[in-house]
Amino acid sequence: MAGDALTATPGLRGLVSPVARVRIAIVLVALLAWEGLAASGLVIHDVVPSLVKIASALWKLLSTAPLYANLGATLYEVALSLVIGGVTGAIVGLVLGGNRFLGRAFEPYLHYLGPTPKIIFFPIMIMWFGVGGGSKIAMGALSCFFPVALSTAVGMRQIEPVLVRVGQSFRASTAQMVAKIYLPAMRPAMLTGLRLGLGVAVIGVLLAETKLSNRGLGYLVIQRYTNFDMPGMYAILIVVFLLAIVANALLSRLGGSSSSATTI
Amino acid sequence: MSAVLEVHDLVKRFGDGPEMITAVDRVSFDVAPGEVLAIIGPSGCGKSTLFNVIGGLIDQYEGSVVVEGETVSGPHAAIGMVFQEESTFPWRTVEENVAFPLEIAGVAREERMRRAREYVALVGLAGFERHHPAQLSGGMRQRVAIARTLASKPKILLMDEPFAALDEQTRFLLGDKVLQIQQQLAQTTLLVTHNIGEAVQLADRVVVMSYRPGRVKRIVQIALPRPRTSEAAASAEFGRYVAEIWSDLRDEASRGMQDDETHSLRRA
Amino acid sequence: MTEHESPASRFAPAAVGVATIVIVFAIVEAMIRAGWINRFIVPLPSAVLASFGRVIAEENVLHRTLFTGAEALAAGILIAIFGGALGVLLTRKRVLRLATETWVAAIAASPLVLIYPLFLVMFGRNALTIVMIGFAAGLPPVILKTVEGLSGTRRVLIDVGRSFKLTAAQEFWKIRFPAALPTIFVGLRLGIMFALINIVGVEFLINFGGLGQLVNELAERYDLPAMYAAITFVVLVSVAFFLVTERVERWLATR
Repeated sequence: MAGDALTATPGLRGLVSPVARVRIAIVLVALLAWEGLAASGLVIHDVVPSLVKIASALWKLLSTAPLYANLGATLYEVALSLVIGGVTGAIVGLVLGGNRFLGRAFEPYLHYLGPTPKIIFFPIMIMWFGVGGGSKIAMGALSCFFPVALSTAVGMRQIEPVLVRVGQSFRASTAQMVAKIYLPAMRPAMLTGLRLGLGVAVIGVLLAETKLSNRGLGYLVIQRYTNFDMPGMYAILIVVFLLAIVANALLSRLGGSSSSATTI
Repeated sequence: MSAVLEVHDLVKRFGDGPEMITAVDRVSFDVAPGEVLAIIGPSGCGKSTLFNVIGGLIDQYEGSVVVEGETVSGPHAAIGMVFQEESTFPWRTVEENVAFPLEIAGVAREERMRRAREYVALVGLAGFERHHPAQLSGGMRQRVAIARTLASKPKILLMDEPFAALDEQTRFLLGDKVLQIQQQLAQTTLLVTHNIGEAVQLADRVVVMSYRPGRVKRIVQIALPRPRTSEAAASAEFGRYVAEIWSDLRDEASRGMQDDETHSLRRA
Repeated sequence: MTEHESPASRFAPAAVGVATIVIVFAIVEAMIRAGWINRFIVPLPSAVLASFGRVIAEENVLHRTLFTGAEALAAGILIAIFGGALGVLLTRKRVLRLATETWVAAIAASPLVLIYPLFLVMFGRNALTIVMIGFAAGLPPVILKTVEGLSGTRRVLIDVGRSFKLTAAQEFWKIRFPAALPTIFVGLRLGIMFALINIVGVEFLINFGGLGQLVNELAERYDLPAMYAAITFVVLVSVAFFLVTERVERWLATR
């Protein structure tokens, strides 16, 4: 009963549920504390800029062209990373998950190499793919490959054996088994892998852009840093995080879980 | 009238060397057209192995399995299997599940959906065509699995403890339903079970298996009149058949239990 | 039916894996020597192997590893304390949990490490920035897993506590907490992994610190074999760390 009261939207008390009230309270307190800190002069000038300055920087950012060109560049790099890393990851995952011997031979490498800092490979990517978008896409693809491959392999192995036997008892061809049984049964696992892959691809691309680039959202962040334009940096960070949250929410609509414990 | 299914001297062994076990040892029997044959035995008597061998999912055995005159090697079009575990495809609706074998066989969409709906109605699930298995109870899901197999019009229906996951009352009712369908279609059926009451309720003949290595200990003719319902369980005849089969089974079952206990002791 | 494996078939997959890697390196070596791959883009694997010794001796690798390790340890301690405390708080106060859990999950899924330039401004180009990034990155999974473990106690265990009339505090410390430990350890392992990965990454990006900085420096010096060796070394350290934490978690789970 108490649970319902907490999450139900209109209550007798007012229009706003306790959960919403807590959230609003947290946000308000945070904003007030921020503004207080900014105004107090306790912190070095502009490390905590006034909310007004941040708002105006945000407005300026959203209303002028450069953001969108850079956003486009980053989106393009992320998209290609996902395609390249995702497709290779899926293929490798299908092979390793489907063949017990190959899985035991090579999957440990994926499992243990997965949680390593990929950004240190960036100098190699630059040498192989140049200083332009290629190295960023390579960075993203490398990052995205591992969670997709691992989730796909795990997903394949977790297919209920009885479902495979059903297909065999009806004498389905290999193509029919793959299309009508394996892939649908693996959908949740692959979507989880894709969500995780997207997350790390975005990180890989953005970090690479902060290190060496003249385009992209990561580049904008570093540019604000070098110019010591703090309100501007906060503005671009806000935009990036909002986009990441929206992208993740959209993907979660499709299914799969958000627990990263599945691949590490 | 020639038998639909003939099993000749079937032997299946697993493992090799000292670890080898003989699951099934020279088992032979026939199933006549329209007959319901039940195979009953304690756990470890090889009945699931029999099920998988006849269904063509296990190979490398001695002896032969013949369906309508053809020797079986691999899953055969004339054999339909209903498995013990949850086997409906969770991502397909009820009608899509039932249409599955027709889809595999390449039947056009409109035709296969029409036929699927017939079988959905046959098992008493009319109105649930668009539901997903997750929205159904365990008993209903088994009915979907049965409908799916029936949709492939098998000459012989193989069922491996299809009611194992269900509670007693659902079992009785579902057993009635299956009997009804079987009688309506004159479907030749081979039923593997560990439940004596179920075997007597549904079968024309009951093959009693011994504990490992699985051999045919006895074949009991069930002369209860047809059409049968679960109400037959109240009759004295029924009780006699159950007692008869149990007296054969009891030794086998206790041998199985002793074996389990020794294994657990060894493992501990 | 399980079949008994002969020792050969048990080690065969691992052997094949290792053999494949060795063969790939041999092929790459041959292709570079033949001129099919530019040796100024991909150094000879043999040269990389040879430079290991040089790198370890000249570049204070041990010192650097300890430095990075210390940063990770500091971040780990902060993560454990704050993550645990916040996890307990969110478990006790259901409203707070319902309000903030999705926010924490959203942060966990976001490119949090991108705020490192901000931390650079706030804390300067030093170890504190790196530790703070590690802390920020590793905190969300610990909070989430602690909450999950503490509030996910099996109903029947709670009922046992109620039947013995335990107070709320007793129920928490004697039932919920011990039952939650395996999940909490999973969270701690995830947290410290994320922290380490981000710490090494940021060391590389801001050119300060231990192992990450080594890679960056060797890259800027364009000492290719040494750079590849350093990257390999960092990957090996990371793998070793992951192996150890996995073992520890498994050992703790069985106690």
